Amino acid sequence: MRLQHCLGLALAVAASAPLAAQAEDTIKIGFPIPLSGPTAVYGKPILAGAELAVQQINAAGGVLGKKLELLSRDSKANADEAVRLSRELIIKDSVDFLLGTLTSAEAPAVSTVAKENKIVFMVPAAKTTLLTDDAHIHPYIFRLASNTDVEGLAGAGEMAQFKDVKTVVTIAPDYAYGHDSINAFIAAIKKQRPDIQVVDSQWPKLGEPDFTPFINAMMSKKPDAIYCSLFAGDFVTFAKQAAPLGLFKAVSNRVVDGGEVGTPDAAQALGADYPLGIIVNAYDPVIWGGGNEPPEHKKFVEDLKAYTHAEYASGWSIQGYSMVEALVEGIKKAGDTKSDDVSKALIGLTFDTPVGKRTFSAKSHETFAPEYWGVATKTAEYPFAIIKDPQPLPTNFPTN
Amino acid sequence: MAASFLFSQFMGGLTTAMFLFLIASGLSLVFGIMRVINFAHGSFYMLGAYLAWQGVQWFHPTGAGFWAAALLAAAGVGILGAVVERLFFRSLYGREELYQLLFTYALVLILGDAAKYLWGTDQLSVSTPPVLAGSVVIFGSTQPIYNLFMMTIGPVIAVVGWLVLNRSGVGRMVRAAQMDREMLGALGANVGRIYTGMFVVSSCLAGLSGALVTPIQGIVPGMDVLIIVQAFIVVVIGGMGSIWGTFWGSVIYGEVLSFGILIFPGFSLFSVFALMAVILIVRPWGLFGRPL
Repeated sequence: MRLQHCLGLALAVAASAPLAAQAEDTIKIGFPIPLSGPTAVYGKPILAGAELAVQQINAAGGVLGKKLELLSRDSKANADEAVRLSRELIIKDSVDFLLGTLTSAEAPAVSTVAKENKIVFMVPAAKTTLLTDDAHIHPYIFRLASNTDVEGLAGAGEMAQFKDVKTVVTIAPDYAYGHDSINAFIAAIKKQRPDIQVVDSQWPKLGEPDFTPFINAMMSKKPDAIYCSLFAGDFVTFAKQAAPLGLFKAVSNRVVDGGEVGTPDAAQALGADYPLGIIVNAYDPVIWGGGNEPPEHKKFVEDLKAYTHAEYASGWSIQGYSMVEALVEGIKKAGDTKSDDVSKALIGLTFDTPVGKRTFSAKSHETFAPEYWGVATKTAEYPFAIIKDPQPLPTNFPTN
Repeated sequence: MAASFLFSQFMGGLTTAMFLFLIASGLSLVFGIMRVINFAHGSFYMLGAYLAWQGVQWFHPTGAGFWAAALLAAAGVGILGAVVERLFFRSLYGREELYQLLFTYALVLILGDAAKYLWGTDQLSVSTPPVLAGSVVIFGSTQPIYNLFMMTIGPVIAVVGWLVLNRSGVGRMVRAAQMDREMLGALGANVGRIYTGMFVVSSCLAGLSGALVTPIQGIVPGMDVLIIVQAFIVVVIGGMGSIWGTFWGSVIYGEVLSFGILIFPGFSLFSVFALMAVILIVRPWGLFGRPL
């Protein structure tokens, strides 16, 4: 028993020795993100974007003469698991930084781990305002994702264009994100168009298989337009059930959705069943229907397609890619990889992304990232719907 | 509140009900008669959906392709059911329910990962077959033709199931197996074959319902676990092992959900769970079941 113990210890020491040596010339980035389960639809492309950025940066010589190394772990979209993995990455793998997590449950949980361990943590997708509000902000948390206030404001802006709309009903998944985004939309529409009334709100559960009763209830209010925050599989199911019930026709396609269903990911899933004419958004529309595509974006999509061997790129990879770019800019500015220095460098830092510049605000450490909005259209070129003339909205979010 | 709206809401509830019935009928069969808690029934349903998608890709996205795909899904899941029953379930009959629960839960995890491996994690979708696309206006409310089709399939399956169980020689054997498995075996009947047969029928129903759901729902990982809870609620409300119990359980579930969201729009699931709690307290054996 004793002997085994000693042997084990010796092995552990022997195993860790080369790792310690390696740590000298690599910058380790822990990356907990859902790679299995329903939300892997987002987790995998975000990770692919980050991997692409790391590959390109390393090929160009790395940062401060060091190579980047991604240590990805499957958080299963579970807050407890994400916390456990983050601690393990910090203690066992001695990562220098944490990037990742997906949901608004995981990100705030890992944020507390980052705070305890004084390690920079960057968030690609979680939109809850609770992550970086006055009560929860700390020096090490940074958000590349948009937030629900920004989404609601942009969505209200799109809705406000419809001059003849007087009544709106909303539908969103019944959890933090859904409620936050609908509240933000209602607050924003009240300011922009006080004459519009929100006459009904429906709250199907996340993953609802049958929207029929919700759709009927919405139609019974005879609204002029609909605002929704349904995303991914929920949006697919909703759209398929709403079309034959005549929902889109009843509101003359005046439906605005803030759940990033303007990506090829969602559009490919629905194919010919996509409700054309509605207003949708995406962090990255990938395909620009129109021609105002930023040139950097063209190259990014080509690189991404080559890296993932996919026919069409995902609209989510940009979040992973830009996050690594932001971190690298922070490290360069700080001149070292100590989280305390990098954190100071990141605050107020402006960095490039494939769709334009972003800046981490001084107060809440977020970019208030606008998303691309536009009308879902079918063209002859693609077998699925794309956003026509995508516009980054909102244009005037009061950052701080 | 306009009459046409109440009618829409009623029909919406019926659509929900008939989808649930299709899934729950197979569950009720093995749960009520074989006393097997098949937690993996939802996984069979999910595989049916994925197989249907696969079939539509192979055969043709439109026309007869959908029906061929639905048959493929039912047959494929039926074969899987036969294999699983022969190899594994056989040794679990008569053991504590906990073993069955653990085993079927393991199946849920394995099949879930297998589906992810084979079809990826993206949401998939199948278009409505052209014959059933579009909608008609009944009493001033728009009804998708596909939903009306589902509303006829449900009762047909209930009637056929009831006739087979209560009016045929096979049905007599099945009911005998439910009452006293050992005695039936002692009388010379091949109980093993009856059980396999029932499990295959149940699996086919799961596969078929998975396929039929694809025109109106997205196919996503996780749809297996979501549906199984609802299906169990329906079986519990209706009473175990009673096909009409499951049928009316589904109708009650659908209508309570449909009208419940009008009364409590903020708590869409509240009314359904409240209903289940009440029934469990007042009639723990379900509306159509018999006290154990």
